[in-house]
Amino acid sequence: MMLLYFLILPLLAAVLAPLLKPKAATHLTVSFFLLPFFAILSCLFYGCAEVHLMTFSAPIGELYLSADFISHAFGLTICIVSAMVGLFALPYMEHRFVEMELSVESEFRKYIFLYDLYAASMLWLVYSGNLILLYIFLEIALITAFLLIYFYGYGNRRWVGQLYLIWSLVAGVLTLAGFLIIGINNDTLALKYIETVGRYAWPFIFVGMVIELPVLGPHVWLPWAHAEAPTPLSALLSPLTVGLAGYVLLRIALIDYSFIVTYRSYIFGYALFSSIYAGFSVFKQTDFKRLLAYSTVSQMGYILAALCLGPFGLVGVVIQYMSHAFGKSILFSSAGGIIAVHHGLRDVRQMGGLHDSIPAISNAAVVGFLNLGGILTVGMLGEFFILRGVVETFGVSTGSLAILLAVIFMFILSVWYGFYTIRKVFYGKPKDTTRKEISRYLYVPLFLIGITSVLLVFPPLSTALIPGLKSVIWPLMGMGGIVP
Amino acid sequence: MNEWLIFLLLFLSPVLSSVPIVLAYKSKAWTEKLPYLSVFGIFVSVIMSLYILFVLPENQQFSYPWIPEFGINIVLITDYLSRYMGVITALIAFFIAIYGLDYMKGDYRPSWYWFFFNLFTASMLLVVYSDNLFLLFVGWEGLGAASWGLIGHWFRDDNDISYVGKAGRKVGPLELSWPPSFGGWRAISTIRFGDVPMFLALAAIWALSPTLNISEIEWGTLFETLGAGGTIILLLCLLMGLFTKSAQVPFSEWLMTAMTGPTTVSALLHSATMVAAGAFVFIKLTWYIAPWTLHGVHGLEYVYLLVLFIGLLSGLYGALSGSGMLERKVLLAASTMSSIGLMFAAAAASYWVDVEVGEMHMNFAVLVAFWYMAVHAFAKASLFLVSGHLIHATHSRFLSGGLEFGKKMVPAFIVTIVATTFLVGIPPLTAYWVKSAMDEVMEHLFHEVGYLPLILLVLTSVVYSGIMAKFLALNFIKGEKPHHEHTHGGGLMKVGYSLMVSVLFVLLYIIFTSEEGHEFVAAGSVLKHGTITISFGVGILALLAYMVALYRPQIHALNKLGAFFGDRMYLPFMNDFIIPKIGFFVSHLVQDYGNRGIDGFFNTVTIPGLFGTISKRIRGIQTGYLSRYINIVLGLVMILLVVVAIGGVWL
Repeated sequence: MMLLYFLILPLLAAVLAPLLKPKAATHLTVSFFLLPFFAILSCLFYGCAEVHLMTFSAPIGELYLSADFISHAFGLTICIVSAMVGLFALPYMEHRFVEMELSVESEFRKYIFLYDLYAASMLWLVYSGNLILLYIFLEIALITAFLLIYFYGYGNRRWVGQLYLIWSLVAGVLTLAGFLIIGINNDTLALKYIETVGRYAWPFIFVGMVIELPVLGPHVWLPWAHAEAPTPLSALLSPLTVGLAGYVLLRIALIDYSFIVTYRSYIFGYALFSSIYAGFSVFKQTDFKRLLAYSTVSQMGYILAALCLGPFGLVGVVIQYMSHAFGKSILFSSAGGIIAVHHGLRDVRQMGGLHDSIPAISNAAVVGFLNLGGILTVGMLGEFFILRGVVETFGVSTGSLAILLAVIFMFILSVWYGFYTIRKVFYGKPKDTTRKEISRYLYVPLFLIGITSVLLVFPPLSTALIPGLKSVIWPLMGMGGIVP
Repeated sequence: MNEWLIFLLLFLSPVLSSVPIVLAYKSKAWTEKLPYLSVFGIFVSVIMSLYILFVLPENQQFSYPWIPEFGINIVLITDYLSRYMGVITALIAFFIAIYGLDYMKGDYRPSWYWFFFNLFTASMLLVVYSDNLFLLFVGWEGLGAASWGLIGHWFRDDNDISYVGKAGRKVGPLELSWPPSFGGWRAISTIRFGDVPMFLALAAIWALSPTLNISEIEWGTLFETLGAGGTIILLLCLLMGLFTKSAQVPFSEWLMTAMTGPTTVSALLHSATMVAAGAFVFIKLTWYIAPWTLHGVHGLEYVYLLVLFIGLLSGLYGALSGSGMLERKVLLAASTMSSIGLMFAAAAASYWVDVEVGEMHMNFAVLVAFWYMAVHAFAKASLFLVSGHLIHATHSRFLSGGLEFGKKMVPAFIVTIVATTFLVGIPPLTAYWVKSAMDEVMEHLFHEVGYLPLILLVLTSVVYSGIMAKFLALNFIKGEKPHHEHTHGGGLMKVGYSLMVSVLFVLLYIIFTSEEGHEFVAAGSVLKHGTITISFGVGILALLAYMVALYRPQIHALNKLGAFFGDRMYLPFMNDFIIPKIGFFVSHLVQDYGNRGIDGFFNTVTIPGLFGTISKRIRGIQTGYLSRYINIVLGLVMILLVVVAIGGVWL
């Protein structure tokens, strides 16, 4: 039950925070997300029981909060990122409201309600033990995100908001159709009782979630949405929301892996191509936020690729989600920092040498790119598991050489575009050499996320987390033995 | 004392001691004082490494669970290589750090510098002592990140003194001048190009072997499971990491542009960390793989042959390139690449050299490679520190300074003489004995590989000796008079390089007194079976080359050849022209056709247009004119009739 109480806090924040002034509301939000964060950490070490909520008749079945390590891994990522971005958002959104000539205090109420509800719904999504509950939270997240873009976005924000809404709805409806088929076949939608997914439900869910993820093809909504959304939203949308499609796919794959096995080579090839394609796109972007958005598409390719790689790959999915979430939330926030300090500066061609005026934000961005590249951060473990999955699945021989090289290139590309961007944005001859005095809210949270990411590589956190993931994934994949 | 406390202090004290300066980055007063704390942190590491060398038992493993379910553990080992390399690393870092207190005074971001400098040291120590491959890779990545930070330290690109290449010099479409921010980016991009394949190789070992501990992996069994093709792929992937880190051809360009970093960084990078890390890991892996016992494994011989020749070719390429260079640090960089190549070559030769040395049955070739690394580290670090002082004193990164200038810089002058003569293999100075042993190793390859390795080694040694003498001559004896002379002060700098160079004497002493040194001394003897040994002949050749280059450091008749060598034989074209051209062409395709096409199809033109058209048509129906509806009804009736008619005929 402890878990339930802690998970209610973020929902409570959505109700209480709008009653307060901006600063108090932010602090309330942050503490109501940090408390569950620490609760989840303690769950990693001491375990916690799943929580029964209620039972409906078939085909819905039991609603419960699952409490396995996959949920914990996603949950703690969502908590820390939401809390830290919430902190970052205080000066940023105030600045944005002034810029939009809105009343700060009254708009902040609206905004913080949507923000808290959005973040809390994602948290609940990963703990939902029932597919219908999961779907409901998916839709809440979608709608709140849409409203935030619609109200506070940049540029042609209404068009972009609609674009996002339509694509996500298409994704959502397809997924729902898949869920319903599962429900009818199994007489329940409770995750732990579902036995088969079947060949009719899988394609629906797969296509829906691939749009949400997104990979090459449907990926075009994402650069618009990420670039034009208000930055704190971008800093949740890209790190947390899109990756949740990976979470859904992971859950479904753990029930029935046959679809992936049947179409493995196609999906894997598609994922690699998509990731490399998006990686190359990054080099040509002129808008910093759009650049980061393409990098998200590239990183989501990792997740889809990892999904094809058996149990080790599935561990890779989880860690890759965390690593990308940490990295990208830092990066979007630093993009926001530049916007706030340099009066809406987003054009990469106008940047260069920014380290001189905003060293703290620049250094945070470095930490962000280290996460994406998997250097000294939790992404390193993610890459290691994905590579192990590649070796387990395809072997090391002259026959698999092409695949190995493609995977290697995919990983290399992230670091290349990352450090290329750092150089272009932050280093080189400074255009503005005055050191800007900036609010601590704009950078301290980013370093806290970075520290979390580094700590997760080392004992005791990884010592608890990784075997925990194994304890969930291995039995479901029919292991101890060989990949099915 | 508890072993874990020692190791924790060893690794963490450099990092933790540089945290305060990071936190106090805004305060000028504190950032001037706190570097002393950072240096103290490295000093603690020195003490710990010495403690490990003298007190902790040899060849012992220390293991602490990390992710034991998957065989990832914190495993440290105190084997021969680690114990000595640890001391070398910590000591060199400490001397350089002392020097850095002076050298980096008044810099514009001291916090950045000291944090990454200490992280660099700690990462290398981790690489040196770890037995678990994943833990080693953590240190390995730390090296990569720290080197990026340090090479691009002067990120403003606003001072010509931090550039590499002559400003404005162009060859074809290429400008041969690189700013620090570029140097950093190129370093990390090249290194990453090798690290990911290496990581894949580690993952493969992880999948196929029950353990990730280097000393416990059954290499022979592993290679047999993989078969010849698999073994070659695995080892090539692994070697990609080592070659890029150690800047062997064709991945050497980053090391040349890495000279954009502060000189202290170059000194550390070239002697005991980073480039040395690649060679060190190769030596360590070879030590445990013991390829001389695995002649039955298919594919292994090709890999070792490749390493042998890449090493030797890098050796020659580096030395020749250096012969045409006029920048102080870039010349030294090229020579380092050359030396590291020889280490690779010597260690690779162990495949064919099954000669054991001493009580511990160490392979002779591997031991030679390691000892050459040790000697090279102290000598090269001294030379870099000297050139940093020279750059400070003359405000120029190009070779300059005549005898008059040399007299004002006596300590630097002497240190340069000692370091160069001790390094190039002039009998009977330190490196001579090790180089002689290396000659002997290459002689061993006559039967299996032929004469080529020895020829390449001798050529490299001669040219190498020449460029070191050139460095001495053009800086202190025969160079142009510097435009600017600022020879006062720099006390701590002098202390730094004097301490550094003095270790070469200690090493000489160890060679003559230690057990493994006996073999070196034997290899360097003048006569064997009544004839003069090849080793001694090579030593004399090196001495001659040194004297000639000292007398004629520049030969103007060979200017064109020199320019070709000095431009690194146009290897920059690959890094700066061909690869970026291809990359940006693909980016262009992807962005301007792919993304715009998809965007147009889904979001802006085709599908929205289609909806627009359909909507317009449907709205067009609803005009309210009766004639319109009658037309529609009549049309539908017509269609119905046609359908019925066709249906009737068909039925």
